[in-house]
Amino acid sequence: MNGPMVAETRPAAWEPVRRRPADWGRLCRFLGRRPGLVLSIAMVGLVALAAFRPGLLTARDPLLGVPSEMFRPPSGQHWFGTDELGRDLYTRVVYGAALSLKATLIALAVAFVVGGGLGSVAGFIGRWVEDLVMRVVDVLLAIPALFLSLALVTALGHGTAEIAVAVGVASVAGFARVMRAEVLRVRQAVYVEAAHSSGVRWYTVLGRHVLPNAAGPVIALAALDFGAAILAVSSLSFLGYGAPPPAPEWGAIISSGRNYLANAWWLSTLPGLTVTALTLAANRIARALDGEWGTQR
Amino acid sequence: MFVLAVRFNLARWALAAGVTAVTVLAGGCSSGNGDAAGSPGGAGRSGGTLTFAVGTDAGCVDPQQAGSSDTVYALRQTVDSLTDQDPATGKIVPWLAQSWEIGADASTFTFHLRPGATFSDGTPVNAQVVKDNFDAIPKLGALAIQATGYLSGYVGTTVVDDLTAKVAFTGPNAQFLQATTTSSLGLVAASSVAKTPQQRCSDGVIGSGPFVLSGYRPNQSITLVKRAGYAWGSSLWTKPGEAYLDSLVFKVVPEAGVRTGSLVSGQVDAIGRVGRADEAALRAAGVGLQAYTIPGVGYNLGFNNARPIVHDAAVRQAIMVAVDRRQIVDTVFPSGTQPATSVLARTTPGYRDLASAVTFDAARARSLLDSAGWAAGGDGIREKSGTRLSLTVVWFANAATYQPAVELIQQQLKAAGVELVLKELQVAQFPQLLKSGDFDAMWGGNYSRADPDSLRTLYSTRLGNAYRLPVTRLDTLLAQQEAEPDAARRQDLVGEAQELIVRDAYVIPVVDQQTELGVSPRVHDLTFAVSGDIQLHDAWKR
Amino acid sequence: MRRYMVRRLAQAAGVLWAAYTVSFLVLDFLPGDPVSAMAAGGLQTGQVDQAQLAALQHQYGFDQPVLLQYGEYLGRAVRGDFGDSVTTGRPVAATIAAALPQTFQLTGAAILLAVLIGGGLAVVATITRLRWLRQVLLSLSPLAISVPAFWVGLVLVQLLSFRARIFPAFGDNGVRGLVLPAVTLALPAGALIAQVLGKSLLSTLNEAYVETARAKGAGRVRVHLRHALPNAALPALTVVGLLVGQLLANAVVVETVFARNGLGRVIATAVTVQDLPVVQGVVVFGALVFVLVNLFVDLVYPLLDRRIVVGGRRGLA
Repeated sequence: MNGPMVAETRPAAWEPVRRRPADWGRLCRFLGRRPGLVLSIAMVGLVALAAFRPGLLTARDPLLGVPSEMFRPPSGQHWFGTDELGRDLYTRVVYGAALSLKATLIALAVAFVVGGGLGSVAGFIGRWVEDLVMRVVDVLLAIPALFLSLALVTALGHGTAEIAVAVGVASVAGFARVMRAEVLRVRQAVYVEAAHSSGVRWYTVLGRHVLPNAAGPVIALAALDFGAAILAVSSLSFLGYGAPPPAPEWGAIISSGRNYLANAWWLSTLPGLTVTALTLAANRIARALDGEWGTQR
Repeated sequence: MFVLAVRFNLARWALAAGVTAVTVLAGGCSSGNGDAAGSPGGAGRSGGTLTFAVGTDAGCVDPQQAGSSDTVYALRQTVDSLTDQDPATGKIVPWLAQSWEIGADASTFTFHLRPGATFSDGTPVNAQVVKDNFDAIPKLGALAIQATGYLSGYVGTTVVDDLTAKVAFTGPNAQFLQATTTSSLGLVAASSVAKTPQQRCSDGVIGSGPFVLSGYRPNQSITLVKRAGYAWGSSLWTKPGEAYLDSLVFKVVPEAGVRTGSLVSGQVDAIGRVGRADEAALRAAGVGLQAYTIPGVGYNLGFNNARPIVHDAAVRQAIMVAVDRRQIVDTVFPSGTQPATSVLARTTPGYRDLASAVTFDAARARSLLDSAGWAAGGDGIREKSGTRLSLTVVWFANAATYQPAVELIQQQLKAAGVELVLKELQVAQFPQLLKSGDFDAMWGGNYSRADPDSLRTLYSTRLGNAYRLPVTRLDTLLAQQEAEPDAARRQDLVGEAQELIVRDAYVIPVVDQQTELGVSPRVHDLTFAVSGDIQLHDAWKR
Repeated sequence: MRRYMVRRLAQAAGVLWAAYTVSFLVLDFLPGDPVSAMAAGGLQTGQVDQAQLAALQHQYGFDQPVLLQYGEYLGRAVRGDFGDSVTTGRPVAATIAAALPQTFQLTGAAILLAVLIGGGLAVVATITRLRWLRQVLLSLSPLAISVPAFWVGLVLVQLLSFRARIFPAFGDNGVRGLVLPAVTLALPAGALIAQVLGKSLLSTLNEAYVETARAKGAGRVRVHLRHALPNAALPALTVVGLLVGQLLANAVVVETVFARNGLGRVIATAVTVQDLPVVQGVVVFGALVFVLVNLFVDLVYPLLDRRIVVGGRRGLA
């Protein structure tokens, strides 16, 4: 749930990604030895498909229920069963992918842009700016991430975008740290020194040389943070701070299923399983991107 | 959470505007009693603890101030009232008062107390303490809105002798006698009267009831223990003397599914607010379901009639017949709940059956909208000169049935080309909402009261007028019925008022308000009081 | 060493001050009029008239310039006074104090379980010679980190409370009532411990003194538990801070699921009804716990491990 957490517990065997030309044979061998990874890619692909083309996965309407068919257990007809108004739960989960994925991407974008921005400014300018930014980062890191999100939700109000921003801001600190470290590293590189001394303007140096070379680890962090962001977004949605009903947000579906725990286990169990599967898949892919691919021979 | 707070806030706001009520008494009708009813007094077993799971905690354990039924379930057991009301007949019967006289113009009430009753701190229940209570209640402030409302026009209490108290009002107050049956006017000891409202809320009060408050943990539980030596119960109760049960624990369990599962698995003995979804699981476990239709105004969709779109009577009238009440009742509410047939529930005195108008007729809804110029737009939602037929509906997050109910109405109205945008609010936001009027329609609007004067409380433009009704003949009718001493004539006035409300569709009645409890087969003789409270003196556990 | 401690203490105080300021800023930028929201937010306040509103404005100091408000509030906060809850009227500090025992019980039990589960997992996974077992054990951590805590709670309630009827589904019914929420909370925490400790164990096992112990003929298990584990456990201490943050965060969800009246539920409810003083109080309290735990670790760690360069910066928060 805590963005920086994942980032900082990545495998010790982490190595910078070595760029190589596309090699299909290698890719096939790589995937062939990792069926779990293949499954994970399929899962993320499926969710992405659900988010952008839900019509391809289901023909039903997520908001339209058939009251006489309420509380049907999972079956061939209704894969995930039906809810209290006879709506098809599978269809709601499929359409919910768009909301949940949107929120997760907004959260990551906020963390990436704001955190990355702060980090690169701190690393590039240095001096008191760096001190100031890094103190702010320390403070943000000192407030438990979910608590910070909750304070932001109180201020921003409820809604999908609101919880996304709240989750994003809570992970800004982690991104700022990594970005600063990377910028510091790249700044000292010979080609940057060279650009500086040959009179290239600072923003050109930053934009053309420093950022592109520093971005890699931050992107890797974003990948690692993806799973954590999914969990954080669905937690806030579960607590009731998301879009108003009947929007099929995953967390909200699970939460409203709590009212029917005694008579319809599938209402909270199956959407929860979906969240778990997606998080697991995202984390698996992130791990592959981060280390395994680069270290594979 | 805080389910009935909505209704009481509405009442508060109306009463604050100065309601004096005239009352016709009537019993509610109880239906669907499960195994729990039955065995007559004397057959019970003493001892044991009854655990009752409720959904909310209103944060106040003073029965004179508490409004939410979840809390009143517990607090009702800690205080005695001057009188009691027979749910079967509506008759007022003795409790702490053995007898009483009503002055000729119903502006004075003289109560003769039974001797020997004491509070749990040992002080006697006498005329002086009646005076202390009634003198203090009007100063309790906003939270005790019901109690203060019952005492509106209160002049003072005279201590005639140690056991005789005479209560005087500025004018006729025919509803006061019935009000003395409520826990809001239950008596507390002088030491509790002396405390501040805030202290009373957090520490509780000393009552004379069959159970004594022994522990309160906010949002967690209320614990009561049996009062030893209790011997002044209501004349309606079957067991003489002390209660059967040694102790009562009311636990706050917010999720309906968890309440149900806990009852089925034997972790609790009884639960409140059973929804339709829970019934099958409960029945399968042999749990008794007890339902009670609460008199007054049931659940409805009330418009802010000043808003441009719903200012158009055709839109409101179309929605009146676009709602399929039967489907809502059958899908969401506990079995036995009745679709509304008037703005008043069936069990309310003065109710008039308007089933032909309060009905489902999709064709009529469409033709009403068509002729009013609302034409179907691209996505099925109607439009008129560029305005979408889209309404924002607000409701309060306090019962598990509300959200599916509004979602189903949303779905039904969509079929008629009306879009509802749902907005869940917290009970806390209610007063602000009433002030701002920032809603097109509001779900709920229920008001528990066994008197048609509830119509005036809610719909008279001379009071708070939450629904922004225009000034019409309805106001005159509502004022006339209040002052009408003749029951038959009052019935006519009230009937006509209901017809006007339904004809102009200021609010859309949906279902009669029913409360349902799940009671373990081990528990016996748990009964409803007339207002929908419960009575646990006679309850026992095997 | 003393200078290091003083510096660390000052740093902690600074961070706390800033955390308070951040929460003040965030909540002060609340859209709309905070007092109206608060006045309406009071469940008991009913209709608010203008005079009452003005009185409230005054009581909360909203009629003063922001800077003055801030100064006054900060002064009170230092003395532990975060004002009164808007919904219940109780002081925020008392509200937090009343909820604390519940949360301490829960998180305490969860930490204990997490150490047992996580530690056991790491030890068995590194000690075993069975490749498949190691694979399975190592894959448990990522799994536990990926499962939403609220969902685990719901599944446990259905299986072990409603079906098997072993544990109560809600509330604080002594030790039995603690089991399900504590397990729910312990799973992700245990996964974190297992990951860090496992890694640390592996690297310790390759160090010279372990080799020496082995060469001297100590048994495999003995080397593992007596020589490697104590040394490997030290670096694991550094994630205690993360662990506490994670536990506090998950407590919000777990307490909601199990209807336990702890700190998490207090803040979740406060957010729903926009009870600003309570939200701020709990957020700052969370930061306080977080800072204290990290401070403790930072001060104790050098005493335990002399290899650490005092004053040096570690990678972990």
